[in-house]
Amino acid sequence: MDATLLDASLLTQMLIGALLGLSVYLPLRCGQLSLATPGFYAIGGTLAALLSTRMSGLGGSDPTYPIGSVLLEMALAALLCGTLAAGIGKLVLRLRGVYLAIATIALVEILRVSTLNQEALGGAVGIFGIPQPFDEPAGYAVFTLLLLVVVCWLCERLERNRLGRAMAAIRDDELAAACQGINTERTKLVAFVLSAVVAGLVGVISAHFLNSWNARLGNFDASITTLAFVVFGGSRTWAGPVLGGLVLTALPEVLRPIGDLRLIVFGLVILIGPLLLPQGLISPSLLMWVKARLPRSNRTMQTHGGQL
Amino acid sequence: MQDLIQLLLNGLSTGAVYALFALGYTLVFSVLGVINFAHGAVFTLGAYFTFLLIGGAVGANGLLAGLQLPFPLPFWLALPLAGLGSAAVALLIERVAFRPLRERGADPLLALITSLGAGVVLVNLIQLLVGAESYAIPTSSLAGLPAAITLLGARVRTVQLLLLAVAGLLLVALSLWIDGSRSGKALRAVAEDPVTAQLLGIPSGRMIQIAFGLSGLLAGIAGGLVGLSVSIAGPYFGIGYGLKGLGVLVLGGLGSVPGAVLGGLIIGLAEACVPAELSGYRDVLAYGVLFVVLLVRPQGLLGRVLPTKV
Repeated sequence: MDATLLDASLLTQMLIGALLGLSVYLPLRCGQLSLATPGFYAIGGTLAALLSTRMSGLGGSDPTYPIGSVLLEMALAALLCGTLAAGIGKLVLRLRGVYLAIATIALVEILRVSTLNQEALGGAVGIFGIPQPFDEPAGYAVFTLLLLVVVCWLCERLERNRLGRAMAAIRDDELAAACQGINTERTKLVAFVLSAVVAGLVGVISAHFLNSWNARLGNFDASITTLAFVVFGGSRTWAGPVLGGLVLTALPEVLRPIGDLRLIVFGLVILIGPLLLPQGLISPSLLMWVKARLPRSNRTMQTHGGQL
Repeated sequence: MQDLIQLLLNGLSTGAVYALFALGYTLVFSVLGVINFAHGAVFTLGAYFTFLLIGGAVGANGLLAGLQLPFPLPFWLALPLAGLGSAAVALLIERVAFRPLRERGADPLLALITSLGAGVVLVNLIQLLVGAESYAIPTSSLAGLPAAITLLGARVRTVQLLLLAVAGLLLVALSLWIDGSRSGKALRAVAEDPVTAQLLGIPSGRMIQIAFGLSGLLAGIAGGLVGLSVSIAGPYFGIGYGLKGLGVLVLGGLGSVPGAVLGGLIIGLAEACVPAELSGYRDVLAYGVLFVVLLVRPQGLLGRVLPTKV
């Protein structure tokens, strides 16, 4: 691939896309279509922007912003988003299907409009001059990749352990899962909180990476784009949203040479993609195909785990 | 008193547009159970169609720069034609983004994505062709009508009255059709259960097309009216209406026609009552109402509660 096309800065954006895809994927693992990801992403971003520009003690005036401060912001963002999600989730997760989707869209819009109207949160102008912990974009790429690896590992665990299987059971049939003694409310809430925490963490990285932050970064378009990552990549395993996020984030940039047509082509891809690949790029049949070609020891291990 | 009339009229005319908009969503939702995210783009398209048909000239930034209809049409003719054009586009969206998924029995979630893709394509196509600048539909196109009249002592913009009248007429016509006619009954049967309706000899596919065509017609006319009343702010101006339409839809009850009308009027009136110093928060109102309604009464004001099926 052309070196100018795949530079560290685009790579960081793609990794951020992959992480946001995973954030949408987590509630979807228990069949809950939540579009709240951009809301929590915006909370994380705004928090990081405010802390790093207003709290001088964090080292915002240092030549390079201390990485420890970024980690502190991430911890705070995770805490804030997790707590909020636990509260909100208790209310909205009673809703099903398209109702939950609409409620979460409303949530994102309420957050966005409120931020736009609060000067203290950046208002319509936004927050500029967010300090940089890395001199090179490559630093961001490595940092984001590390987070992605951690979240992927977590998701991989979730496809194997008790909690993850409970999620899958709810996705297949919530009523049946409840009859099996699965605490469906709690399981759904855990997925929702995890999703919010991931989104908040990504928001922190994104705020530093973008150098400025404004309310428009968490809008309805973002809800749908992140959902497209999951649908396009496939929602059966964590690899789907990761691939979808990487590909669909890169696509508009790769298409930049065709100028004004690129968003039309992007729209056509999201329009035609699900028609050609209804189960996403990483579909169950592809997974079966891959599994059939894995070394035998690995395969028996998985069948032992009760995989279909 | 004058202020009250002005407020009431502002609220009702905005609410009527919301109602038209939400009805389009409702028609499609009731027959397919999915939300058509391209609806906002069809609304936008209706506004641009109207602008072009009354003889407006395209600005310098699009591929069609300088294009102008050689024979400008009067507004009362341009508006229904724009509605028909939008209906044709809505049918195209059904054909491309919805039907292939339905025929394959795919996850309805996918229709959210495909319809959104269709919306992205439409909005960017508009931008490519006519540019991102805002266009105003001149009120002079309402040949013969004064710009404002005095009603009960209050100065009232004619445009608002027109908006209210057209929207009211369409809403009544639609309700009469759905409740009273044979084809309206067929539509309700498909909404109830498409498979059973098909077994009973109702062409479900055709009824779905009718629902899409009507929803496009309503959206196009609403777009033209809003364009006339507040101007076309650019290719993205339908998105805000699209999101608010969702709020109206849920407030009234998903799939309920009178609910959509009631929801539209309530949100329109409520927005008109927001004082000027808080106008920045006006947009939150619809979403706030939506959020609360979902939590308190998820079936909406006039929606039905469906029993959980095992």
